[in-house]
Amino acid sequence: MAVEMTMPILVVDDYKTMIRIIRNLLKQIGFENVDDAADGQEAYEKMQNNKYGLVISDWNMEPMTGYELLQKVRADESMKSTPFIMVTAESKTENVVAAKKAGVNNYIVKPFNAGTLKAKMTAVLGDF
Amino acid sequence: MPAANVAAQVRTSLATLKASDLQDAQIMEVLKLAHQLTDTMKLFFSSLDQSICQEFNYIADYISKTRDEIAALRPNDIKTERIPTAGAELEAVVTDTEKATEVIMSAAESVLCDDETDYDTYRANVEARMMEIIESCSFQDLAGQRVSKVVSSLRHVENRVSRFAEVMGVREDLSPNEETNEEKRNREQLLNGPAIGGPETSQDDIDAMFAEAGDAPDLDQNSIDNLFD
Repeated sequence: MAVEMTMPILVVDDYKTMIRIIRNLLKQIGFENVDDAADGQEAYEKMQNNKYGLVISDWNMEPMTGYELLQKVRADESMKSTPFIMVTAESKTENVVAAKKAGVNNYIVKPFNAGTLKAKMTAVLGDF
Repeated sequence: MPAANVAAQVRTSLATLKASDLQDAQIMEVLKLAHQLTDTMKLFFSSLDQSICQEFNYIADYISKTRDEIAALRPNDIKTERIPTAGAELEAVVTDTEKATEVIMSAAESVLCDDETDYDTYRANVEARMMEIIESCSFQDLAGQRVSKVVSSLRHVENRVSRFAEVMGVREDLSPNEETNEEKRNREQLLNGPAIGGPETSQDDIDAMFAEAGDAPDLDQNSIDNLFD
């Protein structure tokens, strides 16, 4: 099934600049329906009220980390199937293994570029 | 009452007894022995007083010396000057970086959204925005200088603390520290932060990760990609 380019994407990061960067990259790729949240808690609340086609989340945030958000999302029947990509500076193997075990669909280490983001989105969502 | 005074009082009492008209030879003998004992005690108490006095003098000298050493370390300078200045410098780095990022991103977004149909106007806008980006990059020079000052302050504090530990004869406590709530959360949430020098790349690293989770080094993007193939 073709990816709907108007699908809502939720970007979660506690740095506004990074949200802005990802928004611009997504725009360049062709996705303009982008929402954002400053931490896992805010993201989870937004996800309870909205259905997103993809979540792109940082790991290191307070009060709820991206890892906690991932665990909550996967434990919630209403959103457990939402594609989830972790975009983070946490590059230790234990982080990648833990995220994979928790059900992350892909993992991008910062810094990254539009090509990497597009490749991972394609791997998760299919061609677009 | 000082020991010397006690001894003097005992001697006076003995002298009084001796001066009285006592004829008993045994009593006189006892008094003589008592007199000798008193003299001995006098010497003992004198030396005792002197050694205590010396001990207190030593402690007083030590306290005085330590106080001078601590004063020489200028702890108030660290507390009121060095640390606050370093904090202000780091805050300035964050602010400068944010400002520069804002200018650079706004310039880039402006160019991306610009109307390309009017070539001359488009070109002029692109050139102007590129100059803004170039100018904004000067933040790196300022940030570098500020960070250098912070590093210098940290070295200063490190030297002072080391010197203080040396003066006080502090011995390293090798027992493990109790984990704080923040450390516990960081550990549980795997909050390690960015690796210095960037992540490494190697399939061996990935293999090691799956064989010995937790002991392998950081991964780069290619290594992570392999986990999802």
